[in-house]
Amino acid sequence: MNHLVLEDISKRFGSACALDHIDLVIPQGKLVCFLGPSGCGKTTLLRIIAGLETPSGGNLSLDGRDLTQVPANQRDFGMVFQSLALFPHMTVAGNIAYPLRLRGVSKIEQARRVAELLELIQLPHMAQRPVAQLSGGQRQRVAIARAIASEPKILLLDEPLSALDAKLREAMQVEIRLLQQRLGITTIMVTHDQREAMTMADVIVVMEQGRIAQIGAPLDIYRDPASEFVADFIGLGNILAATHNGQDEVSLPGGHTIKVSAAPQTAGKAMRLLIRPEDICVTYGAAAQGPNRLPGTITFIRDVGASLEATIDCAGFTVTAATTQRETPGLLVGMPVFAELPARACKLIEARQ
Amino acid sequence: MNLSLRLERPMPGQLGRATSMLATVVLVLAALPIITMIVMSFSASDTLQFPPQGYSFQWYRAAWHTFASPDASDVLSMGQALMTSLTVAGSTMLIATALSIPAAYALNRFNFPGKAFVEQFISLPLVYPLVILGLSLLLVFNWLPADLGVFRLIIAHVILALPFTVKNCAASIAAIGPEFEEAAYMLGARPLRALVDIVLPLMRPGILAGMLFAFIVSFNEFTVTFFLYDINTMTLPVWLYSRTVSSLDPTVFSFAVFIVLIDFALIWVLERLVGDEGVAL
Repeated sequence: MNHLVLEDISKRFGSACALDHIDLVIPQGKLVCFLGPSGCGKTTLLRIIAGLETPSGGNLSLDGRDLTQVPANQRDFGMVFQSLALFPHMTVAGNIAYPLRLRGVSKIEQARRVAELLELIQLPHMAQRPVAQLSGGQRQRVAIARAIASEPKILLLDEPLSALDAKLREAMQVEIRLLQQRLGITTIMVTHDQREAMTMADVIVVMEQGRIAQIGAPLDIYRDPASEFVADFIGLGNILAATHNGQDEVSLPGGHTIKVSAAPQTAGKAMRLLIRPEDICVTYGAAAQGPNRLPGTITFIRDVGASLEATIDCAGFTVTAATTQRETPGLLVGMPVFAELPARACKLIEARQ
Repeated sequence: MNLSLRLERPMPGQLGRATSMLATVVLVLAALPIITMIVMSFSASDTLQFPPQGYSFQWYRAAWHTFASPDASDVLSMGQALMTSLTVAGSTMLIATALSIPAAYALNRFNFPGKAFVEQFISLPLVYPLVILGLSLLLVFNWLPADLGVFRLIIAHVILALPFTVKNCAASIAAIGPEFEEAAYMLGARPLRALVDIVLPLMRPGILAGMLFAFIVSFNEFTVTFFLYDINTMTLPVWLYSRTVSSLDPTVFSFAVFIVLIDFALIWVLERLVGDEGVAL
């Protein structure tokens, strides 16, 4: 079902173009992630949806009702800010009850709802604490509780986890995702962290310089990026200059030739070959040379215990292969190995301009 | 090696010998007028000789006498002057603050043509010669058809207090990011409601600091007031001055000690209210 519809949204700041004719449909009950490097316009787009920024052109509608001219305070959207913006002069309960107070909800009903929300975010008995006394993760949860207190139609999250340390951030990603699914609330999140987007989102909108580069499910985007920019931005990838020789063969720098499956029609265009580190098979020793197996030397090993990344110099280009100690024991820097680039995992994409 | 050897060079923030002496000199210079005044207020002689020959409470007794049962010869009693001072200082405090909050908000949140000029203009009384300011205001007030009475002083004092109140309010607004208001909008608050519920409470330290500054500036103001007061609107500093020119009366030192005590109390309150959150001068 089409829920929130953005049609031809543009935003200019002076002569600079922050958003360039954005068309987007946000489906009901899903978590949609705007992902992109800083300055790609993702925050501006979120602020336009929130009503905190006016678009220079275009329309915004929710369930068929035009929202373009509706001020932020009447849109009934909840928002968690990057800085959280909890009101420091109010208690936890005061913060969470504020949207209810504005809607003239009775004191008793306010208290009931605050207790319910504190239960939901697993912070009961915290109602009377000043927000200054909370830890980072607790503030995070209070900010979310405040944003959903009045049961808004849409929840907007503007890089909500950027202030937390890595471990807590991972835990909160799961927590927010579970909460979002439990409440079934349509949620739009802005982030520059592709891992965060892949963990949480139903749909990822990759943005580049004020335009949408690709829309899709996280794994679809990861497996089938539409451009070199998307391939580079999402996940770790080996992106190699490639020349398409015809049907199913490409040549790589250094005179290597490998087979690929399902190559697009790309006559005369500069191409790139994308292969994800986990798709590269590292073999060594007696293993004979075979199709798509390129000889090389290990130049660096990043062994973090759970996974192992080996950088392999294949004379002409280097690739990074992800493996584990168990799969490939005894890898050493300087060791001659073969890197197998399986044909089904090699993807040809057009080089960026 | 002995670790303590390394500590002989002063750490950053520790004072060396020369710095300590310089700091002492500066402190003594700053405190000198107050020390002189306190010493003189305990003088046992009838003249303004310094240092006094002996010490007594006679001027405090005389001061109390003047305050409690004013002479018929006095043009105006000290009690009346004190009342005028408190009225003017209180009104100045309220009016200057009421003007400063919206002014500081506008200066911080909006861009408008002439903004830099307005900012400079508000600070003008800090550098403008007070004698000329007093004279100019006197000319303007005399030209007006209506007699403004005590409002002549209040208007003048508000002009003098504005730099302090605006700067304190502006500093506290600058510390409040726009996201607090935006958060309030998103939760359903109209802009005015967000201002009352969120911005004003967060500005409290700056507002209170500005109010106390306004009160102190007005309560101690002499130069401009001297041009503008009349027989019914004499403030305490002008009253004190009138006593020194007429009779070189050492009771003024006893009164002055009281005024300084009041000022100290206000500054102490200021520190307590605002703490480390900062006061802008």
